[in-house]
Amino acid sequence: MNNNNKPIVELTDIKKIFICDEVETHALSNINLKINKGEYLSISGPSGCGKSTLLSLLGLLDISSNGSYRLSGHDVSDLNSDERAIIRNKEIGFIFQSFNLISDLTVAENIELPLSYREDINKKQRDAMVKASLAKVDMLHRANHFPSQLSGGQQQRVAVARAICGNPSIILADEPTGNLDSKNAQLVMALLDQLHSEGATICMVTHDPRSAARAQRIIEIFDGKIVSDQSHIKTSAIAV
Amino acid sequence: MFSWLDIKYAVRLLHKRPIFTVTSVLIAAIGLGLTLYTYSLLSQLIFKPLTLDNDTPLIAIEGEFKESYAQGRPADPYHLNQISTQTELLQGMSLYTTGIRTINGLDNQLGTKKLNASLTQWNLFEVAGIQPILGRGFSPRDQFTGAEPVAVIGYEVWQNMLSGNKDIIGTSIVVNGVVTQIIGVMPQDFALPATAQIWQPLAEKSLAPTKPSKYDSFWAVGRLKKGVSLSQFQKEMQVILQKHYQDLPQEFSWRASSPGGYIKAFHFKLTHDAIFQHYSVFIAMMLMVILILILTCINIGNLLLARVNEQIKDVAIRIALGIQKKRLVLQMLWESIFICCLGGLIAILIAGYGLEVTNNVLEQIFAINGEKPFWWQLSLSADAIIVLLVTIALMIFLTGFIPAWRALSGDFNAVLKDGTRGATGKKSGKINKLLVVCEIGLSCVVLVIATILLSTSYSAKNADYGIETQNRITATLLLPTASYPWNRGAPESKKKRYDFYYQLKDQLTQLPNVNSVGYFSAFPGTGGGTSHYETEGKPAEVFDENPVWNFEGVGLDSWHSVGMSIIKGRDFDFRDIDSKEESIIINESMAKDHFPNGDAIGQRIRSVRRGGKYSSWRTIIGVVSDSVHGSVMEKTSAKHTGYGVMNRWNTITHIAVHYTGSQSQATTSLLKEINNIDSDVAAYHIQSYDNLIEQPMMLVNAVNKIFLWCGLVALFLATTGIYAVTANSITLRSQEIATRRALGARDKQVIKLFMNQAAQQLCLGLTLGIALSLWIITKLTQSMIINHSSYLIGLVAMPIIIIIMVLIATYIPTRKIILMEPSEALHQR
Repeated sequence: MNNNNKPIVELTDIKKIFICDEVETHALSNINLKINKGEYLSISGPSGCGKSTLLSLLGLLDISSNGSYRLSGHDVSDLNSDERAIIRNKEIGFIFQSFNLISDLTVAENIELPLSYREDINKKQRDAMVKASLAKVDMLHRANHFPSQLSGGQQQRVAVARAICGNPSIILADEPTGNLDSKNAQLVMALLDQLHSEGATICMVTHDPRSAARAQRIIEIFDGKIVSDQSHIKTSAIAV
Repeated sequence: MFSWLDIKYAVRLLHKRPIFTVTSVLIAAIGLGLTLYTYSLLSQLIFKPLTLDNDTPLIAIEGEFKESYAQGRPADPYHLNQISTQTELLQGMSLYTTGIRTINGLDNQLGTKKLNASLTQWNLFEVAGIQPILGRGFSPRDQFTGAEPVAVIGYEVWQNMLSGNKDIIGTSIVVNGVVTQIIGVMPQDFALPATAQIWQPLAEKSLAPTKPSKYDSFWAVGRLKKGVSLSQFQKEMQVILQKHYQDLPQEFSWRASSPGGYIKAFHFKLTHDAIFQHYSVFIAMMLMVILILILTCINIGNLLLARVNEQIKDVAIRIALGIQKKRLVLQMLWESIFICCLGGLIAILIAGYGLEVTNNVLEQIFAINGEKPFWWQLSLSADAIIVLLVTIALMIFLTGFIPAWRALSGDFNAVLKDGTRGATGKKSGKINKLLVVCEIGLSCVVLVIATILLSTSYSAKNADYGIETQNRITATLLLPTASYPWNRGAPESKKKRYDFYYQLKDQLTQLPNVNSVGYFSAFPGTGGGTSHYETEGKPAEVFDENPVWNFEGVGLDSWHSVGMSIIKGRDFDFRDIDSKEESIIINESMAKDHFPNGDAIGQRIRSVRRGGKYSSWRTIIGVVSDSVHGSVMEKTSAKHTGYGVMNRWNTITHIAVHYTGSQSQATTSLLKEINNIDSDVAAYHIQSYDNLIEQPMMLVNAVNKIFLWCGLVALFLATTGIYAVTANSITLRSQEIATRRALGARDKQVIKLFMNQAAQQLCLGLTLGIALSLWIITKLTQSMIINHSSYLIGLVAMPIIIIIMVLIATYIPTRKIILMEPSEALHQR
C-alpha cells in the first residue's frame, strides 16, 4: 500500500458533529488534510478544539458526519465496523496517552495482540515480530512481565512496540507523553524520532508545544478548524 | 464519623435512580421475606423446642424411628419406667399412647362422633405444665383397677360438641360405649401429645410391668430440668438402660444391639411422623433458602458495586479531599443500610402473608383427618424478628463490603488524572469473575433441587397406583370396644365384629347406587412401610438381606371396590377365614420377580422379623394386579405387596365403596346403613379415593409449593443477578474492548473472546453447582424416591437454561459496547 507518489492520508471536507440532548456540537468543520509517507506530523491546539476527534477519525475509531477519507489510496469513509477493524489492524498503529495495555496479558502478549487478529501471520512469525519490536524499544528483558509491574515510561514503550510491530502505514499517537514524567517523556519522544528516521509516518496529537516542535509539520486546530499548517526543520535537540 | 451529609447524599443517590432503588429493595425484600418465612415455618414446625410457656423443653422418649415402620415406635413400658424412676435430669416423665375413641351422649343425643384420644399416665398435664381450665386433671387413683372411668376433654370438644356447658364437670358421656365421667376441660389449643381431643388415664397394670414386656406399647414425654441439655439426658438414659440390657433374655437381645440402645430421646416436635419422614426435605429447604439469601446478597452487592464503579471519580475526589477510610466505608454502607432496611420492612409483609396462606393450607390438608399437631399454628414470633434483624445486619455487611472494598482499592490518582473508569486492576477483575462463578453455582443448586423435588412430586401426584379411584369413597370404621371387645381374640367376639362388617357389606351392595364394597387394612396409595419376607427354600443369610414388601389385610371380595383384579389363582373365600393353614395373595410384580416361571401358586412365604422371628408360612393362592401402597415418592413404599385375608378383624378398619350417582348420595347411604346396624359405630375420614391418595402427599406438596416459589425466586435472582454481574464485569472492561478493537479486533473476535470466558466461568460454576446438588440429592434419596425423569429435568435442563442465560447475559452487554464507536468507548466516563 505504501506509495511515495500518493498521500497515505487524504481527508476532504471532513465534518464531525456530535448531537447531545438535541444540541449539535461541530467538533470538526471542513477539514482537508493530506499526510505523505514518512511525514512526522503534530496536531496541536487548546483543549476541546477537536484534535483528539480528528485523530479518532484518522484512526478509523470513529466515522465522520460528512466528507471523504482515503487511506493509502482507498476510500475508507463508508466501511463497516469489521472492514474498519481490518484496516486498523494492518495499516494503523496506535499509541494512547493512558497506554491502554491489557492488565491480564504480559508485555509480549500485549504486543502480540494485534498480530493475533491477523490470519496471514503464523505463531512463529508473530513471536519473531514481537521480539523485534521489543528489541527496538529496549524492553526485551521485560517480555514476560505484566503491565502493573512496569513504570509509566516502560508501559508507554511497550505501547510503542505494540504500535509498530505490525509494520503499519501510519502511527497515530494521542498525547503520548501526557501521563509521563519529563525523563520518560523524553525517552518516548526520542523513540518516535528514531522511528521517523527509520521511515515511519507519524501523526501525533499534543497540546505541548515542545513535543509538537519535534515534528516536521505542525498543524494547529482551533474550534474544529485547521488554522495553521506549517512545515519546519525538526528540532530534535530541544529539551522536552 | 457520623454525618448527615452522607445520609442525605445516599438518599439523593437512591432517589436519583428509582429503577435501581426499586430493583435493589425488591431483591432484598424477596431474599429477606423468604428467609423470615422459612425460619418461622421450620422453627415452629420442627426446630424450636416445645416448651408450652415453660423454661425448659419437652422431649420425646421412644423407640427409634425406622423407615421400615414409617413412623416412630413405641417402647417397652418396663424400660421407660426404669428411666422415669432413675433419671436425675428430668423434671418429670409421663407415658402415653394414642388411639381413636367414639363419643356419644348418654341417650344418644350427640350422635356417635370420632375423637383423637390420648391414653396417658396420670401426670401428663403436670409434665406439660398445663392444667385444666375447668375441673381437675388425673390423679394416681384414676389409674387403679376398678376406678370409675373418667376423661378430660379438649376445649374444642367442650365448645363444639357439648355446647360449652359450664356445668359439664361431673356429667357423663359415652366413650367407646362406656359411660365415662368428665372431670376436666383443657385450655384452647392444647392437644398434647399432638392432636388429642380427649384424654383418659391408662390402667396401672399396663403401665408397670415387672419384667421386660413382649410388646412395645408406650411413648413417653419428659421435661428437662433447667440447664440440662438433650445430649446430657441421652447419655444418662443410655447409662440407665445399659444396666438393664445386660439382663435381657435372648428374645429381646436386639434391643441392646441397636446402636445406642433401642430407646432414643429427641426434641418433642420430631415425634410427628411426617416431619421425621421428610426431615431431609425440610433441611434441603433450609439450605436452599440460605443459598437464595447468599444469591440476594451477591445481587445487591453487585448492584451497589456497579454504582460505585459509576461514581468512582466522586470517590476519588473525596479521597483527594482527605476523607478517612472509616468514613468512606460508612458512606458506602448508607445506601446498603437503606436498601436492606426497606427490604426488611417489606419482607415482614411478605412473610406474614406467606404464613397466613400456609396456615390455611395446613387447615385444608388436615381438615378431614384432624391430624394437625397443635403447635402447627404459624405466626411471626419475636425470635423470628430478631433473626430478621440479624440477617439484615449481615446483609448490610455483605452487600456494603463489596462496594466499600472497591472504593478503597482503586488507583484514584489514575482516575483523577485520566477521568476514565477503566482503572480496574487485576484484583477487581478477579472479584467480578468470582461473583459470576458464585452466581452460576448457587443458581444451579437452587434451580436443580427445586426442579427435582417439584418434578418428583408432580410425577407422584399423577402416578399410576394400579387402582381406579373414580366414583369411590373411602372411610374408616370404628367399632366401640365396649360392645365389640377384643377379648383376647375370643371366637364369639371375633364373630360379632365379622358379622357387623359383612352385614354392612351385604346391605350396601343391595343398594342400587352401590356397585361393590371392600375392606382393606390400608388402601393402595396409602399406608406404606415395609417389612422383610422369605420365600420357602430361599432364605437370606442375614435378616436385613431378605426382600421387602408391604403386607396388608383385605376382606373377602374386595378387589373390585378399588378396581383391582385377580389375574391368576383364586380370591380369598370362606375356606381361608378359619383355616389353620394361612393363605396369601401376592401382587403381579412380586410373582414375576420371584417366580418367573409362573409357578407362584402353591409356593409358601412368611414374614421375617429381627431376632430370628418368623410368622407362620402362608401359601400363595392367587396373584392380584399391581398396586402401590404408600406414595410413589416415599422410600417406605415397596414394589412387592402380599395380602392376607382379614380374619381377626380389628375394631378399626377401612371401607371402600364403589358407587354410581353422586358422592353425597353414596356417603348418605353408607352412614344410613351403619346407623341401621349399630348407631354406636363411627364412620369418619369419609372422602373420595382421590382425596385419600393425595393426603400422604399433601404436606410434601405444600413444601414443594414453597420449593416452587424458591425456584421462581431463584430464577428471577439468577437471571437478574447473572445479567447484572456479567454486564458489570463486561462494562468494566469497555476500555479493554475498545483497545482490542482499536488494535484491529473484529466484532466477532471480541464476542468470541467474552463468550469463551463465559464458557470457562460456566464450566467452573456448573461443576460446583452440580456437585453440590448431587450431594444434597443423595441426602434426599435417603428418605424419598426421586424418579429418573426428574434427574433428567433437574440435572440437564436446568444447567442448559443457565448456560443460555449466561451466554445471553454475556452477549447483550458485549454487543452493546461493540455498537459504540471505539473512540467513544475509549473516552467513556
